[in-house]
Amino acid sequence: MNLGQIISGAGHLALIGWAVFGGAFNSDPMPFEVTEVTAISSEDFAALMDGPRAPDAVANVETPEPPAEGEGAPDLSSNADAAPDSAQPEAAASSEPDTAPEAPDMVPPADTEVSDAPPVLDPPQEDAAALVPEISPRPQPRPAPRVAPEPVAQPDPDVKIDDVDQQEAAPDETSEPVQEDTEATAREEATTEIVTEAEENDVANAAPPRSVRPRTRPERPAVQEDTQPAARPQTDESSVNDALAEALGQSGDEGQGAPQGPPLTAGEKDALRVGVQTCWNVGSLSSEALRTTVVVAVSMSEDAKPVASSIRMLSASGGNEAAAKQAYEAARRAIIRCGAGGFDLPVEKYDHWRDIEMTFNPERMRIK
Amino acid sequence: MTYLSKTFILCAGLVLAACTNADRFGDSNTVDLNSSGGAGAMAGTAQDPASPVYFQQTIGDRVLFQVDQSNLTSEAQETLDGQAQWLLTNTDYKAVIEGHADEQGTREYNLALGARRANSVQEYLVSKGVAGNRLKVVSYGKERPIELCSNEACYAKNRRAVTVIAAIPSS
Amino acid sequence: MMRVLLSLVLACLVWAMPAFAQNGPLRIEITEGVIEPLPFAAPDFVSDNAAGAEMGRKIAEVVAADLAGTGLFREIQPDAFISRVTSFSSPVQYADWKAINAQALITGAVTVDSGGKLVVRFRLFDVFAGQELGDGLQLVGTQDGWRRIAHKVADQVYSRITGEAPYFDSRVVFVAESGPKDQRSKRLAIMDYDGANVSYLTDSASIVLAPRFSPDGKRVLYTSYESGFPRIYVMNVGSVQQRVLESQDGQMSFAPRFGPDGQAVVYSVSRGGNTDLYRMDIDSGASTRLTNAPSIETAPSFSPDGDQIVFESDRSGTPQLYIMPASGGEAQRISFGQGRYGTPVWSPRGDLIAFTKQSKGRFHIGVMRTDGSEERLLTASFLDEGPTWSPNGRVIMFTRETQGAQGSASLYSVDITGRNLRQVPTKTGASDPSWSPLQE
Repeated sequence: MNLGQIISGAGHLALIGWAVFGGAFNSDPMPFEVTEVTAISSEDFAALMDGPRAPDAVANVETPEPPAEGEGAPDLSSNADAAPDSAQPEAAASSEPDTAPEAPDMVPPADTEVSDAPPVLDPPQEDAAALVPEISPRPQPRPAPRVAPEPVAQPDPDVKIDDVDQQEAAPDETSEPVQEDTEATAREEATTEIVTEAEENDVANAAPPRSVRPRTRPERPAVQEDTQPAARPQTDESSVNDALAEALGQSGDEGQGAPQGPPLTAGEKDALRVGVQTCWNVGSLSSEALRTTVVVAVSMSEDAKPVASSIRMLSASGGNEAAAKQAYEAARRAIIRCGAGGFDLPVEKYDHWRDIEMTFNPERMRIK
Repeated sequence: MTYLSKTFILCAGLVLAACTNADRFGDSNTVDLNSSGGAGAMAGTAQDPASPVYFQQTIGDRVLFQVDQSNLTSEAQETLDGQAQWLLTNTDYKAVIEGHADEQGTREYNLALGARRANSVQEYLVSKGVAGNRLKVVSYGKERPIELCSNEACYAKNRRAVTVIAAIPSS
Repeated sequence: MMRVLLSLVLACLVWAMPAFAQNGPLRIEITEGVIEPLPFAAPDFVSDNAAGAEMGRKIAEVVAADLAGTGLFREIQPDAFISRVTSFSSPVQYADWKAINAQALITGAVTVDSGGKLVVRFRLFDVFAGQELGDGLQLVGTQDGWRRIAHKVADQVYSRITGEAPYFDSRVVFVAESGPKDQRSKRLAIMDYDGANVSYLTDSASIVLAPRFSPDGKRVLYTSYESGFPRIYVMNVGSVQQRVLESQDGQMSFAPRFGPDGQAVVYSVSRGGNTDLYRMDIDSGASTRLTNAPSIETAPSFSPDGDQIVFESDRSGTPQLYIMPASGGEAQRISFGQGRYGTPVWSPRGDLIAFTKQSKGRFHIGVMRTDGSEERLLTASFLDEGPTWSPNGRVIMFTRETQGAQGSASLYSVDITGRNLRQVPTKTGASDPSWSPLQE
């Protein structure tokens, strides 16, 4: 007993120390905000002005006319003096009042405590663009402008598109979420993968899509916080942590600053993950950025909202610096947008999620 | 070959100047008989075995090919035997052999395929004794179909090599 | 009970310590996201006079059209705006833009300087992060070059958000078509990538085929029947001066393409019914033969480093894709799928090859890696062919022809993911596009 307590106590001390100090070191915000400008060079400006500029779109020109460069030539001399006024950095950011603080105040209208159930609910069981089982050529998904982890059926045309499904005001079955006066929204129609014209080809002849939805991969763990079957490493980790915490008789002890009490369960972590991924849009990322995994740190306020100014990139791997920047910015947008209404995190465990490190790994999104 | 008939052909050629404005022989005596509707303008000479219209209509100026093929069917060989005979008889003429393809294929591959077909015809005519320097080949690939529909009935007619006759200028 | 617990703790401790040690901040890994167009707002660029305001509106429109046209962005219609941008220098009301879910905001100002030049300034904001993305930028140009300025603004926005190299400020040379199928007239034409500013480079007297830009965008190689036989010409786009490339009597030459140095040209020559690949130094006219086989070898395309050539050959019995050294030599077949492959084009990034595939009576544009793996078909129709890459290697433009007696050709573009298939607007029929490099 003593031995166990000593060992685990030492472990905890180390852990606490690490969390306090390591965390303190980490929270030094990385100077990331403003970046090198791809300012247009003076040559670019010169070129912009004399470069080949097609003459007006004339439809029925019977004889070829020299369209471009010849005409630009006379401009050349005057372009030289254009260089000085090129690409003034505009002292842009500095000239404006500090805008950063504005972000945290943002409380978008749909501020509902969606309590236990994370935003992504059961996918529609039918009438959705079905996933393609790898073995069989059909049923095929049909193309939709949006690709998401789970297919979403075409929304009711009257319903506003939002990132999460929301019931219109009067909630009934879903007892606890107190939905105040929210406009009914639905997630935009989505398929689970990009469907090209070539792939969509046979859809017309294929069996009606209203068939049992095949699955290409194991179902995402249900959102309840019951622990998951052992398949998931986090589960083991957290249950061990639970066991340890319990063994050490420390649960319920609200310490000051150091994470105490039971850590987040796998279900709670999943809820957070799902909460972020709903807004993680990789659709506008370059293929290079899609090869880049970024680790982003964020500090949370007690109402489970991210502190925008605390968001910073800890590390990036797989792509060059520019790609890392775009990947980071997409991650930052995800955290801020989906966190605007507060993530679904248990307030009594605030010490455990005061600081979060999120690894955004787009590997699986690349092949969609 | 009379002066009159040559003049007539020259005029007909001007009337018919159609698909190509090409001056492929380095002179202006080109007659392009490829245009399928053009025969009417030549009416009256189809009975004259020495006329290009006879060559076009009675002997047959074109041979057809199987999909992707450039080898000559026995039917094509028969037609070409007639063409060779005519060319051997009427030595005042030379010919451009145009190779064509149907629209099922990429532009560039079809150009090459048309060249193969035209060449098959040229080689056959040469093997029958026609002087090689009287024959030129050109490929239009899929640029000049004669039938417009998009099915095999039309494709079969578009996969062709057409022997276009022109008078050798009297120098 | 205690003992059991103790031993459990002990047993787990060694294993669990690393997990424990990580327990500072909460760590999660996000591996699933969404792929959807990023909503942006591009209010009219402001100006202090009416003429400038009209220009500001048009520029904002072109910027928005460029971005939305990629399929990666979605324009938020101006009638949804809460905030009006009335001054370029006043602070952005982030809250108003967040409320309409604008994730990116582009603001700009237009003035005409004393010399009559158009001066356009713009800024790009990440609305949810509440900060500017990159610095403000000023562009100066002639007034009738406003479209190019707008494309340059859009290029900046596109690059700053996606990380891709830009491509909007580019042009396309193509064949403008008119008339029925059996007498179609074809002219060389050039336009902005988005279909604007069309001008013609040749008249319709001769059939012209498959123009190809030089790497600097200043010259175009194409095939013309001007002589009665297909021959390769090179034209200076600026002066419209053209000349025929060296060729021997009795041979046909076609399918030309520049090498990355702008000096080497690789092309097909048909002689005696056989078509092989040749390479020519465009200035000296000296040519060398690259292939020597009884089969058809055509549609060659250099790798961006100039070391290799991908081409189409039917040496196996059907047209397939092969890669060989740029100086000739042994070729490796890279296409092995069902069907016929043609017109391979190496992407400017070097990692992919776009091609035309004919299978089961339909045509596709597809991409594969340079070793032939990861083939993916992006389109399907009665007749798609002749892909060309955007300067950044992200988009493919190609010819789509409809079937039947009334069939006609038009240009389409598609993202290399297979998304965002759309027609490129042209006033006449259009085929054989070739995308220029980004203009300088």
